[in-house]
Amino acid sequence: MLNSPAVDPVIQFALPPELEAHEPPEFRGVRRDQVRLLVLPRNPHLLPLEKGEIEAVTHTRFDSLGEFLRVGDLLVVNSSRTLPGLLHARDERNNPVEVRLAQRRDGAWWDVLLLNGRTHIGRAGMFLDFGDGLMARVDARRSDLPFLWRMQFNHCCLELLDSIYRLGEPVRYSYVREALPMDLYQTVYATVPGSVEMPSAGRPFSWELILKLRRRGINFASLVLHTGLSSTRDDGVDATHPNYEEEYQIPEATATAINRAHRDGGRIIAVGTTVVRALETVARADGSVEAGEGWTRLRITAEHKQRAVEGLITGLHEPQASHLDLLSAFVEPQRLRAAYIEAIERGYLWHEFGDMNLII
Amino acid sequence: MQHLEGKVALITGASRGLGRALAIEFAHQGAELVLNSRASSARELADTRRVCESLRVRTITVLADVSNRADMERLAAEALSVFGRVDILVNNASALGPTPMPYLTDYPPDDFEAVLRTNVVAPFLLTRTLIGQMLQRGSGSIINVSSDAGVVGYATWGAYGVSKAALDHLTRTWAAELDGTAVRLNSVDPGDMDTAMKRASEPDGDASQWAPPESVTPVFVYLASDESKSVSGQRFAAQEFLKSA
Repeated sequence: MLNSPAVDPVIQFALPPELEAHEPPEFRGVRRDQVRLLVLPRNPHLLPLEKGEIEAVTHTRFDSLGEFLRVGDLLVVNSSRTLPGLLHARDERNNPVEVRLAQRRDGAWWDVLLLNGRTHIGRAGMFLDFGDGLMARVDARRSDLPFLWRMQFNHCCLELLDSIYRLGEPVRYSYVREALPMDLYQTVYATVPGSVEMPSAGRPFSWELILKLRRRGINFASLVLHTGLSSTRDDGVDATHPNYEEEYQIPEATATAINRAHRDGGRIIAVGTTVVRALETVARADGSVEAGEGWTRLRITAEHKQRAVEGLITGLHEPQASHLDLLSAFVEPQRLRAAYIEAIERGYLWHEFGDMNLII
Repeated sequence: MQHLEGKVALITGASRGLGRALAIEFAHQGAELVLNSRASSARELADTRRVCESLRVRTITVLADVSNRADMERLAAEALSVFGRVDILVNNASALGPTPMPYLTDYPPDDFEAVLRTNVVAPFLLTRTLIGQMLQRGSGSIINVSSDAGVVGYATWGAYGVSKAALDHLTRTWAAELDGTAVRLNSVDPGDMDTAMKRASEPDGDASQWAPPESVTPVFVYLASDESKSVSGQRFAAQEFLKSA
């Protein structure tokens, strides 16, 4: 059933359970913009250092981000809003079925994971009742990604979105112990709903910080990439890094801002790996980007030569996460590994509500 | 001339009274609309929507309880999903509390909390949810519906008056924080209007002395439009605005 063999992880380390962030930093008495920030320079041998450049790993706080940025740098954020993608249903035999929305197709159609605990279930023709008038029929497995089922709801469009919000809860994994309010899964600039997992690299931004950076001449632009699921709930399948397509939109104003920043010597800092994927999908060989929309399956690894993006703000990722492959396109795996060991030693927190990493 | 053409406005409590009058006037002014009310007012809200649609503006309705945090996220998400943006937010939905209105000394604590949740916490939540996309675009207008009872301490207007004073101050403080951003917050005291809420609050009052809600809409159109681009953190009295205009 697998398409490709398991991929060797870029970094191997065991994440101590106490370094898992179970809840938003606000619950720990920490402002969203005051989580910790590990700054990792992409090229430590670049001398002499320009203003704001650092040689070694630096440990600071997220709201000190501006110290590492220059006037004219452009931060590109993903403004996709997160919707409650985890739904509970009953099949025609009244068995419980957990439905995880993976990708919105058309109108009433979604690709989904069908689970009973961590066991993949599902069959063609399966009928699901979610309660409150929402129902769905399972069509067929996807031939390319056989763990996903195509499913048609009895509602469409705004009516379907309304039902999903009334019945669903945020997609979460075992380290988040209870279903939290949906608004805790939003960045402060989240706009159009469509992601099933929070584009979490942007979560630490507060408007206070954004407005402060803007006043200092550091600009912001946004694009949309609606995220799919980060895990299939099957370790064997996850280890193969299955390659989903994800929907993106890059507005004209953002493409213009990126091209202007590059022309004027500014750096493009992607806020999140989703932004890297979207921008590298549309980047031309000379690093310029054009506005557009579509679906991307781009997978970025150490071999990928970045064209449009010079820096990255991201969270701390698990050893098996494909995100680490992407990070190794920015910084040598050895140095990434050393930085991660420091992060573990210093008690950084992992996952979507955890601490942050700037690679620049 | 249509003053709100090309703009998207979200109005809470749009099934009747001032909310309905604002929806219809904003439709006349060319705004696309997201209209909200509680599920129990679904039929009246559908009627407001029909009137707005007859004026050929795209209108959606979202049934949601403003005092419910999850409902506010759902309301914002649906609005943004359909229109991609919200330019104007009118926090109009409001709770009076128990009627006849008791003294604060006699006020049931749960009712006191419920009034503050609907009249203060809800505008906070909805503003917080929608203001990010306004700040990103660099424009937006938020209008909070206040009351004279927020300024003068009238006997028996306890929870309501406290909530409106708080709402005025929420408006001022937020405006100060966003000074220089072109996202604006103002509050409007519409004055005495002949609405169901007013009749409930003053069952012995002389309704002939109260203005129809349709008559106080000009200040809202002004604050929603680009004409008031540099106006923020202010409190307007609708009747005075009519006189000065």
